[in-house]
Amino acid sequence: MGAKNGKIIEVKNLTKTYPGGTKAVRGISFNVKAGEFYGFLGPNGAGKTTTINMLVNLVKKTSGEVIIDGLKLEDNLDEIYKRVGFAMQEVGLDEVATAREMLQLHGRLYHMTKTEIDAQISKLLKLVELEKVADKFTSTYSGGMRRRFDLALSLMHKPKILFLDEPTQGLDPHARQLIWAHLRQLNKEGMTIFLTTHFMDEAQELCDRIEIMDKGKIVTEGSPEELMKKHNAKNMEEVFLKTTGSNLANEEVNANAPDPFARSRGGGRN
Amino acid sequence: MNTFLSDWYYLSIRNIKLIWRPLLALLPPFFMPIFFFAVNSLSLSALAQVPGFPDVSYKDFIAPVAIFTAIFFSAGNAGIELVQDIQSGYFKKLIIMPINRLAIVLAKLTEIAVQSLGQGIIMLILLLLWGVKIQSGFLGVLAIFAILIIFAMAWSCIGMISALRTQNARLVQSLFILVFPLLYLTTSQTPRALLPTTFAQITDFNPVTYIIEGIRALVLNGWGSPDIGYAFLAAGGMFVVFVTFTMFSFRKALK
Repeated sequence: MGAKNGKIIEVKNLTKTYPGGTKAVRGISFNVKAGEFYGFLGPNGAGKTTTINMLVNLVKKTSGEVIIDGLKLEDNLDEIYKRVGFAMQEVGLDEVATAREMLQLHGRLYHMTKTEIDAQISKLLKLVELEKVADKFTSTYSGGMRRRFDLALSLMHKPKILFLDEPTQGLDPHARQLIWAHLRQLNKEGMTIFLTTHFMDEAQELCDRIEIMDKGKIVTEGSPEELMKKHNAKNMEEVFLKTTGSNLANEEVNANAPDPFARSRGGGRN
Repeated sequence: MNTFLSDWYYLSIRNIKLIWRPLLALLPPFFMPIFFFAVNSLSLSALAQVPGFPDVSYKDFIAPVAIFTAIFFSAGNAGIELVQDIQSGYFKKLIIMPINRLAIVLAKLTEIAVQSLGQGIIMLILLLLWGVKIQSGFLGVLAIFAILIIFAMAWSCIGMISALRTQNARLVQSLFILVFPLLYLTTSQTPRALLPTTFAQITDFNPVTYIIEGIRALVLNGWGSPDIGYAFLAAGGMFVVFVTFTMFSFRKALK
């Protein structure tokens, strides 16, 4: 089974209501085409991270349907996990392992052969320019190196779809450019990329199609050019401001949304 | 190799590396047991002359407690390591891999078993050098390690359950305070015959009592004491209960 009618991600009437009643996602529907670079934008607290986490079942949906590469999410988790990579907001690295050890472990947990693992490690370390530090503990890496390595990790098992949640958050312009170049290259090679970000320049630069989400709903959708034309805006930032307005009230609402994996940090959802 | 076994194996290897990374983290669990063993065996040796005390030296009497304590302290770290994995986001990465959840738990328990075995061997060597004799011989040593490892895995589950439920390092670390009542409301320092009645009754409800007495029987008396069987029952019972709760917490954490 694979993508139907070229749609590799299909989302229908997806909702999430957290215990306590916070409605983070309110019945959204969208499709992503195979090979597309898809941007999922919104202010802090709009429901982007909740949505992306629901797409990989890290957060259980309240209702709605998610189909990934022709497979219904809740019935085919293991198969779907083989086909998707996910670089999350938190760069989840094993601090007492080296980059090479982490990549090897990932390869083994995805049941790749040793030859495949070695070849993929060489390719990825070169791609993210971390060959020289591959045998150092990841705790010694800078923020930019950690992000790049996390990207490599999410690509280890050669996924068809790459989910990226704020991949350039906290990076300097050089590191951002480097990540952008890697992402462009991956997309050019045919990988579908689902990106959440609140950097408008990033979305405009990278994405074929963009949806803007606000207060748990999709407020507009189209290519960057279409959106600028539709909202009579000079750039995506203007589109964003026109469609979402102030985001402060929204942030307060979503501050109540529990993150089942980050309570002690008070980890924020976007 | 079967994929479940392969996942368990590779995750175990990853976890076992955590034992000695950093190397210095290996030392603290030994400090308190060695300190208490040295101080107590030197300062309380006269207790062995009190009527009702078994016909052994006080040093031999408390030797099982030293081995047990080293493992008791370090097994609790499993919860802290799990909180660190959750907070760093590493745990999420594991969850979205096509691996069996049971393999994640078993790999953690394997780490604890290996760590307990290593610490037990070091403590045993130190005690033998101190003049302690194991009356049950080599097979007795194996039985002691089996009891300790089963208990350590069960105890580590309490840390993991707390980690999955709270995801808070301070709360998980604070479980450390349970070690003291569980360790001291037992016959660890004094034989049952010399304990006040109420205290002796309390020790009957503490599973750690049975574990210490089982190990003590193997150290002091050799084979034949029913205490050995009770120790296996207590450790095994704790293992079944706490592993079940850990698996339940794992499932609940994903909702």
